[in-house]
Amino acid sequence: MSTDIVIAQDLWEEDEDAVITTWLASDGASVDAGDTVAEIMVQKIQHDIVAPASGTLKIVKEEDDTVSKGDVIGNVS
Amino acid sequence: MKPNKAQKIWMYEHMLVSRYFEESIEKIYMEGKSPAFNMANGPIPGEMHLSNGQEPCAVGVCAHLTAEDVVTSTHRPHHVAIAKGVDLDRMTAEIFGKKTGLSGGRGGHMHIFDAAVNFSCSGIIAEGMGPAAGAALSRQLQGKTGVAVAFLGDGAVNQGAFHEVMNLAAVWKLPVVFVVEDNGWGISVSKSDSTAVEHNDTRAAAYGMPGYRVINNDPVAVFEVAGNAIARARAGEGPSLIEIETYRLAGHFMGDAEGYRPDGEKDALHSKDPIPAMKRLLVAECGWGDSEELEITTKAHFRVDQAIQFARDSAYPEPEEALDKVFV
Amino acid sequence: MSDVAQKERKLTIARAMAEAVSQEMRTDERVFVMGEDVGPLGGVFGNTRGLFDEFGASRVRDTPISETAFIGAAVGAAADGMRPVVELMFVDFFGVCMDAIYNLAAKNSYFSGGHVPVPMVLMTSTGGGYSDAGQHSQCLHGTFAHLPGMKVVAPSNAYDAKGLMIAAIRDQNPVVFMFHKALQGMGWLGTEKGAINHVPEEAYTVEIGKAKVVREGKDVTVVGITSGVHHGLKAADILAEKGVSAEVLDLRSLVPLDRESILRSVAKTGRLIVVDEDYHSYGMSGEIIATVAEQGVKLHCAPQRVAYPDIPIPFSRPMEQWALPNAEKIVNSYELMTR
Repeated sequence: MSTDIVIAQDLWEEDEDAVITTWLASDGASVDAGDTVAEIMVQKIQHDIVAPASGTLKIVKEEDDTVSKGDVIGNVS
Repeated sequence: MKPNKAQKIWMYEHMLVSRYFEESIEKIYMEGKSPAFNMANGPIPGEMHLSNGQEPCAVGVCAHLTAEDVVTSTHRPHHVAIAKGVDLDRMTAEIFGKKTGLSGGRGGHMHIFDAAVNFSCSGIIAEGMGPAAGAALSRQLQGKTGVAVAFLGDGAVNQGAFHEVMNLAAVWKLPVVFVVEDNGWGISVSKSDSTAVEHNDTRAAAYGMPGYRVINNDPVAVFEVAGNAIARARAGEGPSLIEIETYRLAGHFMGDAEGYRPDGEKDALHSKDPIPAMKRLLVAECGWGDSEELEITTKAHFRVDQAIQFARDSAYPEPEEALDKVFV
Repeated sequence: MSDVAQKERKLTIARAMAEAVSQEMRTDERVFVMGEDVGPLGGVFGNTRGLFDEFGASRVRDTPISETAFIGAAVGAAADGMRPVVELMFVDFFGVCMDAIYNLAAKNSYFSGGHVPVPMVLMTSTGGGYSDAGQHSQCLHGTFAHLPGMKVVAPSNAYDAKGLMIAAIRDQNPVVFMFHKALQGMGWLGTEKGAINHVPEEAYTVEIGKAKVVREGKDVTVVGITSGVHHGLKAADILAEKGVSAEVLDLRSLVPLDRESILRSVAKTGRLIVVDEDYHSYGMSGEIIATVAEQGVKLHCAPQRVAYPDIPIPFSRPMEQWALPNAEKIVNSYELMTR
């Protein structure tokens, strides 16, 4: 079973897009639920993206990609 | 808060020790510096700033302090160090640059550190204020007793550090007291030529803290005002600023011709010397007589002579010791 | 179980610094943090993120814009038994507070005969490359390393950042902790991916004063610190394609300087290039070349340096980028020295 890593709608207030600045775990790495796996940036503000489940990380959106609220940037299976 | 008899005698005693110490240092400083005045020569080389006349500031404040309280002082530190209880033998040896000095001769007269009584000083104007505030913050954070007092000269109030630290101490309500020893001169420049306000206690208002001014170089008045300010700090009510009108009976430093003083100023100041004034007070209020005077003077002289002998008898450090203590 | 052993835990330098400070704060009540915007904001460069929420306003203190006051206060608190970690937001701001740094923090141990140590950490950001001009882009490695009495460390990656920060907090001496903004992992400053690496969760130290060979080679030694290490690694890749084997040495500390590691590497390769984003003259690059020269290490050719020209850092992108060290300049230096 795979759980998507989704950019939450309430992570920031404005409607603008974000950029993935850093994946803190590599594609294929083992992660635990609650681990911070990525940082995304809206203007100068950084937000943490945490693993929604434990398992193996699959990266869908790469570093420097632009992402919007609701986007799936990876999954854990 | 008025001093009792024992406190008055304590203040007088430390004034006498301090004055006799400075008079002794003054004589020894000139050894090897005549006829040619070369600062590098003699048993006490380097710069020398004597505190003759400023003893009331030191004793009136330090009468309220114990070893655990923190004091930072200035380039003119001897009177405060003596009142704070700094080890006189080792301080004197330090002034002589000897191995037995407080830092083994690395600091000298402007850099006296005695951790046992939480005393330090610095040769940079207003530089002791930040560390005093920091020590006060340390006590506040640790919930430990003890307050900090920073001594500074009237010239220091125009330094940026003064204003920055006044604000920081007030905004964090730190248990610290700032004591301005106002001797009217910053080396050769008069207070009126350098400072936009007549009295610096008024500057306290800009930082939301109480400011006090003590006139006439009066140790008893210093005791009263400092007592209130220190009690306020101990109670956690925040910092205070005190300006004390005091007299610099010596030059700024040894070798100062003092040509900048108006005619007659020096004589006028000597006529108001706080030591005879304090003695008169003891005679009037405490039944002070010749025998008490002889005893306390003898004791003071003995203590200072002993420290000077200790310094003279001590060895110089090995030159290579200069490489030690950069890091611990 | 093998999953646990293999689990990767990458951090940015910003996160590694914050984690190091938080772990020390948990185990040592004497540790506290002061600086501008280090509280709820988490530091302008992210290195105090999360500390305010965990430890509160008393131990994570936003200060007035008053560096002379709060760095001076750090000295007094350290002398009184605390372990302050203070931030000078940009190293360029040292002009408003250097007295507290080099006349107090650096000298109190000496002037007290070692009886009043000053165990404080001054963390400060360095480096440019993002058009912030000459008051917010300098490195000033040489300025701080020149003055006796302070240790100076400057990590190139998150692993070293955490270990050096913990070592700095535990050190009895003042330690200047310089972190390069482009390595910090803040997206808006550009991010050097090579600075983000695996960081163990537990507390550990990286010894202050020990350099590290981050890439072994036999033809030329490239010595650098912070950004210079990454330029050196990229240059080594390019040189490898040309059949040249470059060894890259990350100094990690400027004071104490690990002269032995420099000499060992240069004795092996016989060639030396020093990379420094600090100014060319009177600085780290000259010190390292002098060290090698004084020891009479036999070189195949004259050493080279790739350092910042002796100019205030310009604002305009083409001018600034032209002036900065980079991998290409290192490769060119190698070609020049072996021509």
